[in-house]
Amino acid sequence: MGLTAAGAEEAGEALTRALVVRAQNGDAEAFGELLADQYDRIYRTAWKWCGNRSDAEDVAQDVCVKLGSVIAQFDGRSAFSSWVFRITLNMVRDMQRAGKRRGRHADAYAELAPDSQRPEQEDGLAHQALWDAVRRLPEQQRDAVLLVYAEDMSHAAAAEIMGIKEATVSFHVHQARKTLRGLL
Amino acid sequence: MSDKMNPDPFDALKSGQVPPAGDAARRRALAAGMAAFAAEQQKSTAPTKGDGFGARLRSIITSLKGNSIMDLRYPLGTAAVALLLLPLGYQLYSTTALTPGGAKPAKTVAATPVVPIPADDAPAITTADLAVAQQDKEEATTEADASVPVVAAEPAPLPLPVAPSPAENIAVSSAAIAPQRMQESMAPAAKMMAGAPSPTTLVSPMDALSGDSFASFDEQRLKVVAEEPVSTFSIDVDTASYSYVRRALEDGYMPEPDAVRIEEMVNYFPYDYPAATSADAPFKPTMAVFPTPWNPKTELLQIGIKGYVPPADGVHKPSNLVFLIDTSGSMDEADKLPLLKRAFGLLVDQLGDEDTVSIVAYAGSAGVVLEPTKAAQKARILSALDDLAAGGGTAGAEGIELAYRLAEEAKVADGTNRVILATDGDFNVGIDDPERLKDFIAAKRQSGVTLSVLGFGRGNLDDATMQALAQNGNGNASYISSFREAQKVLVEELGGTLDMIAKDVKIQIEFNPAVVSEYRLIGYETRMLNREDFNNDAVDAGDVGAGTTVTALYEITPVGAGGGLVDPLRYGGVESAAQAGDATEIGFLKMRYKLPDSDVSQLIEAPVTPDLVYGDIADVGDDMRFAAAVAAFGQKLKGSVYGGSMDWSDIAALAQSAKGADEGGYRAEFVGLVKTASLLKPDAHDGGAADCSGENCATD
Repeated sequence: MGLTAAGAEEAGEALTRALVVRAQNGDAEAFGELLADQYDRIYRTAWKWCGNRSDAEDVAQDVCVKLGSVIAQFDGRSAFSSWVFRITLNMVRDMQRAGKRRGRHADAYAELAPDSQRPEQEDGLAHQALWDAVRRLPEQQRDAVLLVYAEDMSHAAAAEIMGIKEATVSFHVHQARKTLRGLL
Repeated sequence: MSDKMNPDPFDALKSGQVPPAGDAARRRALAAGMAAFAAEQQKSTAPTKGDGFGARLRSIITSLKGNSIMDLRYPLGTAAVALLLLPLGYQLYSTTALTPGGAKPAKTVAATPVVPIPADDAPAITTADLAVAQQDKEEATTEADASVPVVAAEPAPLPLPVAPSPAENIAVSSAAIAPQRMQESMAPAAKMMAGAPSPTTLVSPMDALSGDSFASFDEQRLKVVAEEPVSTFSIDVDTASYSYVRRALEDGYMPEPDAVRIEEMVNYFPYDYPAATSADAPFKPTMAVFPTPWNPKTELLQIGIKGYVPPADGVHKPSNLVFLIDTSGSMDEADKLPLLKRAFGLLVDQLGDEDTVSIVAYAGSAGVVLEPTKAAQKARILSALDDLAAGGGTAGAEGIELAYRLAEEAKVADGTNRVILATDGDFNVGIDDPERLKDFIAAKRQSGVTLSVLGFGRGNLDDATMQALAQNGNGNASYISSFREAQKVLVEELGGTLDMIAKDVKIQIEFNPAVVSEYRLIGYETRMLNREDFNNDAVDAGDVGAGTTVTALYEITPVGAGGGLVDPLRYGGVESAAQAGDATEIGFLKMRYKLPDSDVSQLIEAPVTPDLVYGDIADVGDDMRFAAAVAAFGQKLKGSVYGGSMDWSDIAALAQSAKGADEGGYRAEFVGLVKTASLLKPDAHDGGAADCSGENCATD
């Protein structure tokens, strides 16, 4: 992470903040801009957690709706991006826990029109196996691993999003590594 | 950031490529977010601000500006796509699942509206619903005609979209054809509509295609004592139905009527009947007669039995368990394989060192996962369980034969030899024909290896096959919906699950026509036996485990109480009532059972005497009242023609009054469940005649 990158990130963060404040004051255009700005990140995160496009799109849409109704409650104590992250992870969890019914229909569609295009990479198979294995980990371990590795966050940042202590994140990552020892 | 010692395999996750989101999905999500935002603003700001402000927000698509309704292309487009794909997907599903008994059991498609609809809100929705068939037909059709486009949950008059594309036309016209489907496919669109400022009414989609199959059966009908004085049935110790119903209600929809088996609901709860004192007479009946809570003119005869509990300090009977585990791809959901692993982990913890465990997987990763292993090596068993992974095709046959072979290998002479089949509904265990599978299991039962079935998850569950296999295997069928349920079945009731104390238990009761004019057995529809089967030891029946309680309820109409539903015969006056026995006896109970290692049945007899009668339901024990409340609840859920008239609140109050010590908290949970049901399907007061349209109306 170079200085310039950090600088750009800060500028982006400031812009986001401004948009959030305007949206909280009821400015719909600002909120629209904010959503457009966040959507790709939300979707990408959702995809990493769910592993297929239709679920990720569903989650992203749910997050957008949620943001629309709770934006006023964002209190600025944490970064807006981590707040969105938390909402996204909650949505993923809700969907995976309760959304079995909807999920089943989606699966039925998927059999006809597979839209979960697998990432085409040279190490395709092994890579896919790793992703699948990580997604099957217990929730906390999965979240920790994906936040730290797939999202490239520090343990501290991951801890903030997961609402647990930094040491606990490290522990979950460690546990995950242990769980997946056979596979890796 | 990561360990430097060797390349961290997790680093590979960083390079993960994410395929971009679809444009349509993106636009849809943004629009939905905006709508939610607008709705939120509407709520929080003064109403005056709402209009001018809201108008600007209704669509972010410029071409649709000025349209006072939200952009409809997406909901309609989604509907059109869903209309095409849903039947195809369903077809695919239904042709790939193994159906019991060759012919598919009739699927019940219940179309009960789940969310209460205020009467003045949106008649279009209610008319679109199939339930309307029961209401005034003419009115319904005219209304439906007039309001077809309104199906999209908009009570306000709906202007057509500005430039209707062909796709829209298709969507609208097919909506006219299949309004019901339309509602189902509206689920994603519902999210968008939810934020719209106008009062939207959304009927939450009833899970008409829940995917689980249940054998359909007719409710027990009323019988006239003069014609059929004898009633015979096999006991049923399964509890799967209650867990299933509970799960459905907790998820917010009413269970299909065929999923409700009242006896399984009643038997789910532990009752404190006096237990028998010796293993030779493993149970004794407890009976009471008390007024029916839902019908003042009839009485309930309750028969409860509790299995003998062997003393805990006695010699532990060795168990030989084979877990036969479904690892097909469909098991890969949080409430299936992961829950199953934890559930079996619990079970393994309960075992003694001398017990043996083997694991066989079928479908997906098929084969022997763990050779027979003494439970002393818990770690080995648990790690073998942990290694199970769902996935792959559903090939991999021979599962069941393999399981029985392992069971034979590790057979213990005087203990429990049991195969425990855990599945979410795929019974492709190697024998395709359900009849042959049943025969196979029944044959193995003769050689001393029994079978229990644990059902997991929802959406694929094949309840009928589960029941049939467990009945043929002399085991029990349970539905594990949660970890708590796993605890109940595999820890608290482990004795009842594994330690059979009596088998082929049949109950026969003969009513005295001088005292009882009509009777009706509540539940046990799938367990009825012929009168002659009672004394035939070759006829299979239910089995009782240690400490298990079984309850049966009869609703009886005393002679002369005026509650009779059947008119007396004009020419039936020639009665020979003066038989053996006391003329004041209500009836005579007979039970037959076999001790676990015997093939000859024993008989228990007891008269139902007038001193068992209580004048007031408040006087009977908690157990009796609670069982009555559960039965009332089951009947109401089923839409029973006899006992469905009791109010939810009365059922809840009755159950509440009968909670007793309630050690496991199950009864409190039941009370909560009744309240949930009352919200999902409120009692229709004042207009109560609606339920009572046909000739079946039992009230006077």
